[in-house]
Amino acid sequence: MERFDAIVVGGGPAGCASAYVMAKAGLNVLLFERGKFAGAKNMWGGAFFGPQLNELIPEFWKEAPVERFVTRHVLSFMAENGSTSLDFKSTRFCAAPYNGFILLRAKFDGWMAQKVEQAGAIVAAGMRVDDLLFQEGRVSGVKVGDEEFPSDIVILADGVNSLLAKKAGLRSDFLPEDMKQGVKEVIELPRETIEQRFNLVNDEGAAIEFVGTCTRGLPGGGFLYTNKNSLSLGLVIELGSLVKSKLKASDLLEEFKHHPDISRLIEGGRTVEYSAHLIPCSGLAMMPKLATGGALVTGDAAALLLGTGLILEGANFAIASGMAAAQTALEAKEKNDFSAGSLSRYEQLLKESFVLQDLNTFRGAPAFLKNRRIYELYPELAFEIFEAIFQSDGMPRKGTLQVVKEIIKRRTSMISIVSDLWKARKAI
Amino acid sequence: MNMIVCVKQVPDPEVPPAKFRIDAKTKQVMPPEGIPPVINPFDERALELALRLKDAYGGKITVLTMGSAKSESVVKRGISMGADDGFVLSDPSFQDSDSFGTAHILAAAIQKIGNYDLILCGRQASDWDEGVVGSIIAENLSLPFIALALAIEAADKALKVKRVTTDGYQVFSVPVPAMVTVCWDVGRPRLPSGSGVIMAARKKIPVWSAADIGVDAGQVGKGAARKEAAELSRREWARKCEIIQAETPDEAGTKLAEKLREVGAF
Repeated sequence: MERFDAIVVGGGPAGCASAYVMAKAGLNVLLFERGKFAGAKNMWGGAFFGPQLNELIPEFWKEAPVERFVTRHVLSFMAENGSTSLDFKSTRFCAAPYNGFILLRAKFDGWMAQKVEQAGAIVAAGMRVDDLLFQEGRVSGVKVGDEEFPSDIVILADGVNSLLAKKAGLRSDFLPEDMKQGVKEVIELPRETIEQRFNLVNDEGAAIEFVGTCTRGLPGGGFLYTNKNSLSLGLVIELGSLVKSKLKASDLLEEFKHHPDISRLIEGGRTVEYSAHLIPCSGLAMMPKLATGGALVTGDAAALLLGTGLILEGANFAIASGMAAAQTALEAKEKNDFSAGSLSRYEQLLKESFVLQDLNTFRGAPAFLKNRRIYELYPELAFEIFEAIFQSDGMPRKGTLQVVKEIIKRRTSMISIVSDLWKARKAI
Repeated sequence: MNMIVCVKQVPDPEVPPAKFRIDAKTKQVMPPEGIPPVINPFDERALELALRLKDAYGGKITVLTMGSAKSESVVKRGISMGADDGFVLSDPSFQDSDSFGTAHILAAAIQKIGNYDLILCGRQASDWDEGVVGSIIAENLSLPFIALALAIEAADKALKVKRVTTDGYQVFSVPVPAMVTVCWDVGRPRLPSGSGVIMAARKKIPVWSAADIGVDAGQVGKGAARKEAAELSRREWARKCEIIQAETPDEAGTKLAEKLREVGAF
């Protein structure tokens, strides 16, 4: 059997980025994708930050299937009887190099896989890698059914539940508390309706995040992104708490669609797609060993995902880690040394980049974000405070600070708020 | 045995109908963006039958498709499964050909390839479900024709073809060369091997134009079509969710039953 310089397992952003870099540098690269085509099994909410992809493929927005550019961010605290929102718009975000992009995975991953093929790699879709080959204690290739494919290095980009990282001895089992479950519907609406409802023109897009009743107080949140002709609406909820409370994310998504804030935005729409996926969310605490002799782990497989509460970023971490893995492979090829020692360069590259620096900066966030008061209490508190401020009931008005104090006293204590703020200061 | 298998590239039939759109103006079914087209699953079964014959008797399989240059993906699919060679037939004049035009084009390419014992295709294509191209190819090439074949045995310059009927089987004997369409019941086609996919990825698939196969543009394409689509419609499908509130499972069940009766579900 022909020997490849590098085999990449997984055709998502991490796998495609690493295969693209290595193939462009002249390596003989083979990429295996389990789905019928790259993007068939992959999922994200839909909003994506661009700098890494811009480094990989300069001005990618000119050719990538971008739905819209994010020019409007809304953070909405959902309470039982209403909501309190922060609405941010930037005119600077709607010009190159832009900031946020809204994309659909089936199209985006397909486009990336095409770039990989154009760079000279072979993309073998519909092929599941079942096992790794080992030689002298080092990973020396992959096994697909009965076929063996030897290679100098294997880049594992096989996603959140990477069975191969486990087989390589790089990770142990995950706990439900380490995972969030994402569920999403794509709801079709005419382009003009979307632009009217979300106050957008041309290619402008809105990214709306929700915290509060949409998850029934469970750690997590909701999201709504505007595509060209559809909306991506979904929830992300910590899996452990879903299991404990015996709730189903799909039921909560139906409930979310019935919330008055949402139902009027999706009215008349037609659901054309439903998807669900796991998201690794314990950060550094669940990160596997990143390298062993002959193999590197990237993207979701390495739990490289940043959740700060305000931001949930995975795809650009995936691309950055794929690029770092490719660089490591190229340097190892130069030295013809694929030992664990030589490949430890990968972790060093990630430490020098934002990938491990961000995860380190926000290392306290995963634990902080388990605090139920963020989802149960504070959205209600914000609602009650603003309701009291705006309400006219014929009685003499109280000073604003007085109103805030009274409501806080009724619902919680100043001490617990100060304590949460103190923790937030350190965590996020 | 030398075989030619005609395959068609179609929108992925596994995509839920809700994701398709109908363009009322052009009378075209518009598949969703981002989901690549696939080999017609009926043709994939014809390919499987050809591969079984190759396994049993040896020989060569050539895959033929008519479409755009992008249709090479279905030829490559055939090669990754074990076919030997393939061609794409593509020309602006071929566009919007009806079944007669398509069969005319395929027959011209089959004649160019030459030296064949058996031509196979699926019983129908999953996009338009007409199922007539195979029989028109047989007519154009003056070949014996058998539809809905389940199995084929070779016997001294002749073929024994078992075909499926509603209540049983029929076995016909035909001289070679012959044209046979293949039924669904041949079973699940084999999956490509990894090495097959690698080989197919590296193989250059020649594209033949109308001139290459000697097709007169006046005899194919929209202008030569003997019929025209007048109307296309699709069964509408809607999903609605209502959350039933109740204190007890009994109450919830009763309310659900009432609701289902109200909407006419039973």
